[in-house]
Amino acid sequence: MSCEELQGHYELYAMGLAEEPERSEIREHLDRGCEVCMAELKRARALSAIVSGSAEPAEPSLQLRRRILASVGVERQRLRWWAPFWGVAAVMGLFAALYFNGRERDFAALLASARQQARDQAIELTKLNEAFAIVNGPDTTEASFGQGQPQPPKGKVFVNPSQGVLLVASNLPPARTGKIYEMWIIPKGRMPVPAGLFQSAGDGTALHVQRGPVDVDATGAVAVTVENEGGAPQPTSQPLIVAAIPPRGPAPR
Amino acid sequence: MTLLPLILALRTESDADLIGRLQRRDPEALAELYDRYGRLVYSLILRVVRDTGVAEDLVQETYLRVWNRVQGFDAEKGSIGPWLLAVARNRAIDYLRSTTGRARSSLELETTEHPALYTDMERDLLASDKARHIKAAMQKLSPHQREVIELAYFEGLSQTEMAERMGQPLGTVKTWVRTALKNLRDELGTVMAA
Repeated sequence: MSCEELQGHYELYAMGLAEEPERSEIREHLDRGCEVCMAELKRARALSAIVSGSAEPAEPSLQLRRRILASVGVERQRLRWWAPFWGVAAVMGLFAALYFNGRERDFAALLASARQQARDQAIELTKLNEAFAIVNGPDTTEASFGQGQPQPPKGKVFVNPSQGVLLVASNLPPARTGKIYEMWIIPKGRMPVPAGLFQSAGDGTALHVQRGPVDVDATGAVAVTVENEGGAPQPTSQPLIVAAIPPRGPAPR
Repeated sequence: MTLLPLILALRTESDADLIGRLQRRDPEALAELYDRYGRLVYSLILRVVRDTGVAEDLVQETYLRVWNRVQGFDAEKGSIGPWLLAVARNRAIDYLRSTTGRARSSLELETTEHPALYTDMERDLLASDKARHIKAAMQKLSPHQREVIELAYFEGLSQTEMAERMGQPLGTVKTWVRTALKNLRDELGTVMAA
């Protein structure tokens, strides 16, 4: 087909709606560097943008902005940056409160905030310590997942018989509102066992630790599914991640 | 005011600066991107899915996708607004297809949102006057022509799917689509030349 005959199909192609044979024809023109088609498609994309931008204006909720920023760690980062100052502020608040011997409510709020900060940091630190313990364990077995697939979550699973299971993933977008990721330890020939709930960060990374002893030799795989918030006793969806646990070598004498 | 989101989309910091900051993983740049285009993106997605909760989830998904893929964008020549709208439209259409049992390969939609495709576009493409012209041009279309344009842009229907939905012969639908797009193209040409 000539470029002229393809007129009227560029817009559909730009929207992913072109049908055969025009779709293949346009592709062929593009593959051979047809400048007419490239210019037409550019114009079609411009038209698409303008039409898309002409939708009746609507107002999202005020929470949406915060939600989006939190999902890439903006709020967390701010808090981390301010963390040392929170400590100082808490101490100053303590002295001020004692000195003025009055504003108990302000002091209590400040102290609660500082405590929350400390608690959050302690949780994060504990989680990292657990992860290091599993990764560095001499008897830890390691399995990869997602390799060789077009667009998967990728990563590794580490299983330690005494410490537990660590999952590290990338390309795992945060589960939608009302949903959460659930990890499963799948014993060979038996039903999956729940191994904790987690959410990925806004950049698609996730780190999840399930503490406790694991019978590595009896474990066939570690998997992850999307479940409703609160989790499920058994998987209710197809797994996004399946890491087959390789058999361990003979124990060192 | 109906054109407020479009007016808000016209801000002083250039796209190049904003893209550069996004590529350096500056989270404040994402805030800037949201302030600049958030309402436009939300309006488009809501127009497609017609559910405020779902629309907000998809806006979040859109911004995360852009955040994760912005490294492939040409900071000097890239037009981030049109790219963002393409990503948003695809998320919404993909959702609509999954809920209406029109599951088609999302690969085709994916190919329409590659960052490299959104370069060297007109700087103020999303300015309010252009949207106003296109809206006026759409009002001039016949009801059938307007319907097919809306089915294509806001519901992601192919011509065959439109014919089924409207209960009309495929040839007739193709004629409506061709004529409507020609009119819009001509209008776009006039706007660009202005």
